[in-house]
Amino acid sequence: MTVAAAEKAPPALFDTAPAAAPTIYPTRLRPSHVLVGVCFVLVAATASILIGPADLPAGAVLKDILSKLPFVHVHSGLSRTGSVVVWQLRMPRMVLGGIVGAMLAVAGASYQGVFSNPLADPYLLGIASGAGAGATIVIVEGPVLGHLPSSALPPAAFLGGVVAVVATFALGRPRATERSAASMLLAGVAVSAFFVAVQTFLMQRSSPGDLTLVYGWILGGLSTAGWGQVELVLPYVAVAAVVLFACRRLLDVLTIGDEEATSVGVRASRVRLIVIIAATLGTAAAVSVSGLIGFVGIIVPHTIRLMAGPSYRRIIPLSLLFGAGFLILADILARTVLSPGEVPLGVVTAFLGAPFFLVVLRQARRLG
Amino acid sequence: MKRTRATIVFAIACSLFVTCAVSSASPRAAGPVPVAGAVSSAAIYSPGVTSPGVTSPAVTSPAFPVSVKSGTGTVRIPSRPDRILSLSASATQMLYEIGAGSQVVGVDKYSAWPASAPRTKFTGYETSAEDYLYLKPDLVIFAFSSATLVEQLQKLQIPVLVISPATTIANVDSQLAELGEATGHQTGAKSVQSSFAADIASAVHSANGDGRGTTYYIELDPTNYYTATSGTFIGAEFSLFGMRDIADPAGHGSQYPQISPEYILREDPDYVFLADTVCCGANAANFARRPGFSVLKAVRLHHVVGVNDSVGAQWGPHTMEAFVSLLARVLRQGAASS
Repeated sequence: MTVAAAEKAPPALFDTAPAAAPTIYPTRLRPSHVLVGVCFVLVAATASILIGPADLPAGAVLKDILSKLPFVHVHSGLSRTGSVVVWQLRMPRMVLGGIVGAMLAVAGASYQGVFSNPLADPYLLGIASGAGAGATIVIVEGPVLGHLPSSALPPAAFLGGVVAVVATFALGRPRATERSAASMLLAGVAVSAFFVAVQTFLMQRSSPGDLTLVYGWILGGLSTAGWGQVELVLPYVAVAAVVLFACRRLLDVLTIGDEEATSVGVRASRVRLIVIIAATLGTAAAVSVSGLIGFVGIIVPHTIRLMAGPSYRRIIPLSLLFGAGFLILADILARTVLSPGEVPLGVVTAFLGAPFFLVVLRQARRLG
Repeated sequence: MKRTRATIVFAIACSLFVTCAVSSASPRAAGPVPVAGAVSSAAIYSPGVTSPGVTSPAVTSPAFPVSVKSGTGTVRIPSRPDRILSLSASATQMLYEIGAGSQVVGVDKYSAWPASAPRTKFTGYETSAEDYLYLKPDLVIFAFSSATLVEQLQKLQIPVLVISPATTIANVDSQLAELGEATGHQTGAKSVQSSFAADIASAVHSANGDGRGTTYYIELDPTNYYTATSGTFIGAEFSLFGMRDIADPAGHGSQYPQISPEYILREDPDYVFLADTVCCGANAANFARRPGFSVLKAVRLHHVVGVNDSVGAQWGPHTMEAFVSLLARVLRQGAASS
């Protein structure tokens, strides 16, 4: 199949036949894809800044943003409270939503690559259950542990997530003679089950008020987003994104199988280790400030895969862009559907993402 | 060797994250922010307030068996219960107030008042009624109905009362009567009803109408901004003073909705009450440090008040009287300082 023919052919959902003669798909990132992705993020970000329960006039908000640019002198007419809403609530919330969405999507894509498993998501190795247990310990046992403030939640969730992945890695690290990472996936299942048990035990002993807090965290959200949280997670997500971006070609090589990858000079186990460390640190940082937001890590990479082909040279950068835009849009819905009330963000991503993904999947099959 | 190095890098990154998180969470101001209206949780449960509330057992002798209307329907209580297990902190307060304290053999872990109540590790959410049997209860009281537990206790022929969360002051009144009837303390219950009504009226009167037309936000959770509308017992207490709950439009079928911080800024409430001081360490100072909240009127006027979490979860007369008194005091101070 020529490259031109491959451009027209519908791509497979996931290339799971590593040993078979690989189908050649275009791998180079097309500028048009990037342009669409950037426009998607910009539209989502602009809508996020303009929409909210404070009912600020769109023109005034845009002028207020323009007035911050160098050499631009316009008077927005926005009140002090309006300006605070834009710069201290909507803006950091939008930025944090973009960071978290980008991280979850790119981590999901990377996990799918290193484990050759289409069902892999950023929570595969136990981050979600570990972070959940960490957060639950702070919420339920916080008063016992010396009046831990709610600010102790992010580090506890981060540590819980990282501890769970380290445990998974220590227990399920494949031996040199093993061909796949299946043992690590199984270890992930076992470690997740253990941390879920810890969390459930604590929840069973907690008060209804604590249960609300735990469920609120599990369902995810960005309602407390501030610049402090952006500063907290940005270094981790930036480093993780750069590392994963740099590994995009190696992830393509891994799709032909570990042995074949070794024969062309790529050490699969080392790539896997680097990708897991980067994706884990980035995801744990994202989860620590946003709670458990599901589906992003599966829906976004697969939708890109269906639209742009299975090459990670395309999937990784486009996941960053579309993941960011998707979560920003989902957050707009989370805070407007029941305005002035809020809906947990994880509920919106599942509600919105699952049917959308099914439509894309159906469409791809029909074309196929 | 390389794997070990990677693990070390991993560990360093983790510790850096925790360090950054903790340092960013610590107060940036040199000292505590002066908040004139802030009242510590101790104000709700100060020793001087707790003791006099307990009523000595009143001698009453209603005819048993009695049939009492409860959340699960009508409950028949064959004889005067002498081994009551209360799995509701609010019901515990009511039992002791009406003089049935000597009949109580166990209370749940959340029953903080009175201090002398025989506390157990129970939460009311146990999975088997067998757990309760060592206390040999002849009446079990829940705040929330668990079908399995109720069914198991009924099979054991132990009467069960469900004292559901009150939504109005009148609800509290009728629950006092219900418990008085169920425990043989109708006279005690009537007496508490009268004093409860008088205390509430006195507190409301002492506010001189200072709260009328003012708005408030009551926070139950600082991470998701869960709050309570005026359709709850805590909301009913604010309504006594003519205050308006900013969360009412967010109800949408739930009396405990989650609202957005942007909406709080838009509504700019006159008063903020933090009922998440114990669970989550919320206080006036860290409330003011949240993104954008420094411009709130309540923050600028020092009208952010930290209260014990129980005011949002317990509707016993003791908690309600203490909170209404506190509210009257805050409103008087607020009006004087404005």
